Amino acid sequence: MSPSPSEPSRFGLTVSGLSWGHPLPGSGWRQLFRNFSLTCPPGQFLVVIGSNGSGKSTLLNLVAGTLRHDSGQIHLGNKPLHKLRDHQRARWIGRVMQNPLEGTCPALTVAENLRLAERRHRPARLIGGGLFAMFGGIHPNGADRRRYRELLGDLGLPLADRLDEPVGQLSGGQRQTLSLVMATLGSPDLLLLDEHTAALDPRAEATVMDLTDRLVRQLGTTALMVTHSLDQALGHGDRLVMLHEGSLIGDWSAAEREDLDPPALRAMYGAAIVAPLPSDSPNGSSAS
Amino acid sequence: MLSLWLGAADQGLAYAGLALGTYLTLRVLNFPDLTVDGSFALGGGTAAVLISQGAPIPFALGLAILFGCLAGVVTGLIHTRLGVNDLFAGILTTTGLYSITLRLMDRSNIPLPETPAGILALPDLGLGLDGQWAVGLTLAMVGLILLISLLLSTDFGLSLRALGNNPTMARANGINQRRGLTVGIAAANGLVALSGALVASYQGFADVTMGIGSLILGLGMVIIGESVLRPRSVPQALLAVVVGAILFRTMIAIALQLGLEPVDLKLATALLLLIALAFGRLRIPGLSDQGRLLG
Repeated sequence: MSPSPSEPSRFGLTVSGLSWGHPLPGSGWRQLFRNFSLTCPPGQFLVVIGSNGSGKSTLLNLVAGTLRHDSGQIHLGNKPLHKLRDHQRARWIGRVMQNPLEGTCPALTVAENLRLAERRHRPARLIGGGLFAMFGGIHPNGADRRRYRELLGDLGLPLADRLDEPVGQLSGGQRQTLSLVMATLGSPDLLLLDEHTAALDPRAEATVMDLTDRLVRQLGTTALMVTHSLDQALGHGDRLVMLHEGSLIGDWSAAEREDLDPPALRAMYGAAIVAPLPSDSPNGSSAS
Repeated sequence: MLSLWLGAADQGLAYAGLALGTYLTLRVLNFPDLTVDGSFALGGGTAAVLISQGAPIPFALGLAILFGCLAGVVTGLIHTRLGVNDLFAGILTTTGLYSITLRLMDRSNIPLPETPAGILALPDLGLGLDGQWAVGLTLAMVGLILLISLLLSTDFGLSLRALGNNPTMARANGINQRRGLTVGIAAANGLVALSGALVASYQGFADVTMGIGSLILGLGMVIIGESVLRPRSVPQALLAVVVGAILFRTMIAIALQLGLEPVDLKLATALLLLIALAFGRLRIPGLSDQGRLLG
């Protein structure tokens, strides 16, 4: 249930032949992804960077199911995510949104938010088990609160003492921390992080990134993190890829990334805007 | 004078189901549901037809609730399956319900001259028939508050509250928005139909137009209750809604007592609601964001 040390994720993410486009204001059509492919092996922490409009967040939305692709396949292990509804995908995917306001319910308490995330893996059944049991039972109860307090305490988070406070009273950093803990509850098979520190001040950003690293390592979950921060891109994750106009234009393992620095990456951003760079795709990925 | 207060309290308790249903849709689900205008009359009409034909009142109330739930399911399906805007979905259903209620009643008005036997069997606390109604309606509302509080405290209730508060987050956590909204709207309309049935039984007639303006009435009751009690939890909010219904009917009774012409009643009601809305901008932990609802 909780983000505790576990076996590495058994499922990798495979995106193959993905196509997606959208209408432009007025008239016209922009085909962002054309036959796009990307493989993220089980347990890999993949960081995705790219300029605005490169398709980073769109890729995350397509994997999460909040956007529908035009064609292609998205598999988590052997599970065809592209065939599932978004609420069904959510049982295997934990997601942290860019905006701290989006990832939590501000009117519900910290404990109630945690319960919602925990329940994701055990949806209520409306059949059998007595009047209230069939609606999932009364939650969060005393046992739930003890469990959440222990979990937050183990992670060293002061939220452990604020379980019964409405989340709307928390700061942006605290909400994003909670959102991250919620996303990792129940050891999801895939963790999606969508510029999850973009709205935070440097101190909160450091706290959330430290927690991100700890949770991903603890769980061994396959993770996909989109970021604009070149420092984050160079300092976190097992592998770095760069997107431009829906195409993969750079792919570096953690060792290869050692040779890069922010100015070099920034230069690639600029070069990509003029002309896409060739890609060697060292981790079995390809894009066209 | 006591009879005036007691009568107003009885009416408020009879209308409390409407307020609870409005609370469920507007506050919990953040769904402005105009179906309530139709389901209130449907509940009243259903109960009137059955009671006038000698059916026991629990059966009449039960069938009224069922029909109200079905009306809510129709609105829910129109909205979630066909993608029709929430307001239009409710208007479509409530427009259709007018004909259905009229067909069911077979005429526009059904009188119910006799008090239901179930009410006459209750103790009157020395207050006569109004006392018996007060006992019956209070028991019913206490039961409803307990039941709804418990249901909203379950995992399913939590998911309904999340859907109303942050649908994006709810979906990301595996909550089936279509099913949740449909079930929630159905339950709310079941409560509203129950209220219609109780009002018809109490006032001694059902009219096919009795549901007109129900949504705004319900909203007024909710806001008055919240403004007065400032609830900080779900059970408190439910109690506040019932108290709001009683206060609302009491204010109407006072206005009539002070010489307000019945023909001006709708105008007075609108002004009362306007004042309640102006003072009702409050937030309730655990529930939907009222600022978003009221713009």
